[in-house]
Amino acid sequence: SHSVKIAAGAVVCVESEIRGDVTIGPRTVVHPKARIIAEAGPIVIGEGNLIEEQALIINGYPENITPDSEVEPKTMTVGMNNVFEVGCVSQALKIGDNNVIESKADVGRNVILTSGCIIGAFCQVNTCEVIPENTVIYGSGCMRRVQTERPQPQTLQLDFLMKILPNYHHLKKTVKASHT
Amino acid sequence: MDGCGSFTVHHKRPPFSSAVRLFQAASGDIKTSSAVSVAPDSASLCGEMASLLQPDRAVYLVRGEKKIRAPLSQLYFCRYCSELRSLECVSHEVDSHYCPSCLENMPSAEAKLKKNRCANCFDCPCCMHTLSTRATNIPAPLPDDPTKTAMKKAYYLACGFCRWTSRDVGMADKSVASGGWQEPENPHTQRINKLIEYYQQLAHREKQERDRKKLARRRQCMPLAFSEKYGLGTRLQRQRSGAPISSLAGLSLKEGEDQKEITIEPAQALDEVEPLPEDCYTRPVSLPEVTTLRQRLLQPDFQPAGASQLHPRHKHLLMKRSLRCRKCEHNLSKPEFNPTSIKFKIQLVAVSYIPEVRIMSIPNLRYMKESQVLLTLTNPVENITHVTLAACEEEDPDDINSTAKVIVPTKELVLAGKDAAAEYDELAEPQDFQDDPDVVAFRKSNKIGFFIKVIPQKEEDADVTVSFKIRHDFRNLAAPIRPTEEGAETTAEAIWLTHHVELRLGPLAP
Repeated sequence: SHSVKIAAGAVVCVESEIRGDVTIGPRTVVHPKARIIAEAGPIVIGEGNLIEEQALIINGYPENITPDSEVEPKTMTVGMNNVFEVGCVSQALKIGDNNVIESKADVGRNVILTSGCIIGAFCQVNTCEVIPENTVIYGSGCMRRVQTERPQPQTLQLDFLMKILPNYHHLKKTVKASHT
Repeated sequence: MDGCGSFTVHHKRPPFSSAVRLFQAASGDIKTSSAVSVAPDSASLCGEMASLLQPDRAVYLVRGEKKIRAPLSQLYFCRYCSELRSLECVSHEVDSHYCPSCLENMPSAEAKLKKNRCANCFDCPCCMHTLSTRATNIPAPLPDDPTKTAMKKAYYLACGFCRWTSRDVGMADKSVASGGWQEPENPHTQRINKLIEYYQQLAHREKQERDRKKLARRRQCMPLAFSEKYGLGTRLQRQRSGAPISSLAGLSLKEGEDQKEITIEPAQALDEVEPLPEDCYTRPVSLPEVTTLRQRLLQPDFQPAGASQLHPRHKHLLMKRSLRCRKCEHNLSKPEFNPTSIKFKIQLVAVSYIPEVRIMSIPNLRYMKESQVLLTLTNPVENITHVTLAACEEEDPDDINSTAKVIVPTKELVLAGKDAAAEYDELAEPQDFQDDPDVVAFRKSNKIGFFIKVIPQKEEDADVTVSFKIRHDFRNLAAPIRPTEEGAETTAEAIWLTHHVELRLGPLAP
């Protein structure tokens, strides 16, 4: 099914572009000009996520080539309390909780983010690996280190945005998921 | 169709980042600010157009102790010697110290005491960024009534870049915002201080003996200036490179006072060393825990091998420096004292005195075929400048890099003066210079575009280089105007300066 299911309590601006089979959980904020594109499979986004402007979450065909034969569509899952900052590109198939993908970062398809990971600004991570918990990737050489505490969920920011955004933007209507 | 739609979506990047990447590819060094002046008519940020304006395409030769080729934007001009100077043929002197994050000025004596570090700011031991202080609210028991708890603020240091916090190394949160953070003390400080005192005394005694020998009569007059060890600030001290040096001798000038004899024990060699732990070879290495060499060496006192012992250090001060011509000892560049100001008190840079040659457009260059290259020449001074170009002679010792023959215009080129008010003055008549259209392509206020003919001489040339001499008149406004017998001369005399210029024109067309 090619429909967008937005749970109650989510704030999704009309100017955002959502295509394909996308499920958005409650308390998630999707800014205008964010793009969530599910073309090679559905995308399921959990609760409490913050997807900022010009962020791109795409479940696309690898290397942009449409396969001739039927490939089984893989679901992309995004957990809770993640932050996708301005201009980032995320193609990771599995993202856990409390991760932060900073501005203009690029996460490849074969990366699996667990929890508490921070991909620094402009870092391009296109390896084929599972990033361990609480890892911080920073710097132009994508240096890594492990932090002792995970990043705090942006509850204050989410509450503020959920109050203010409807004052300035039209929101997409809530569509209940048909199979829940 | 979904397939076509996905194609465009995937390649559509935010426009800014692609332009930034192309710029990074074109300009090897982003820090040279003069490279990024893209004129509005060539606003397409494609790599080719911007790369012609790169500063290192047109270099000038500096005839100093070493022959240095550098773009004009990186050179200085000593108007007393009337010569170009590069960073390597001037002497650099420290002007003032300041902290780069809090911009606090510090006098040199205080900087020396604090080991050139700021008192307020800290550096992240992990990524060397500046640490910022963050506050959290923690419940803490009130001092009057232990049963009730109130919210108190606790402060900790955090790095915004790599997310390091002071809690990672076990430093407790402080209750004061600033001033509570202490650097760990070096266990060897006492021994080092004692050694320093002993050698200070020794140096002082040596200095006194030397002074007594040299100045038999004038004892008290100038002890410091004459025999200051390690004193490389003034010219007198610099020239005496053979003399033994020590910066410690000048600190105490108590002559005649009987100073306490300081003795030190010599260092003792130990027979037994701590053995390595047993699992040294078998324990698997946990990479996030190991510090990098850079992180380790930034703390030379401890050089911790584990990341859990990396403590933050105070931020290093930066300094403002002034440059001085080595021949005539005049200042070429003197910055302002205030750290927030980027202006200069004295700024004798070459671009404000010497006409600048820049490449404007290059046609396809072919082996042994003559092509016309368009160059621009800009006049930085306010009076009219006459420029003559000349090709390098056959056995010119400066001409080592050129790989092509060049035919420069033989006529003298006249450049109008730089008039700041010209754009506002609508009634001004355009000056008529009677340019030869074969030589001068265009003329625009103080800039002209002219053609040179280039014949590449090498078959497989990756970078066609041409060189020629440029001769222009320079009015020295710094020299005193001597009244002649016929009457007072109102204009300064013009002298003719010749510079050797090399241009890199890029590869031959395939």
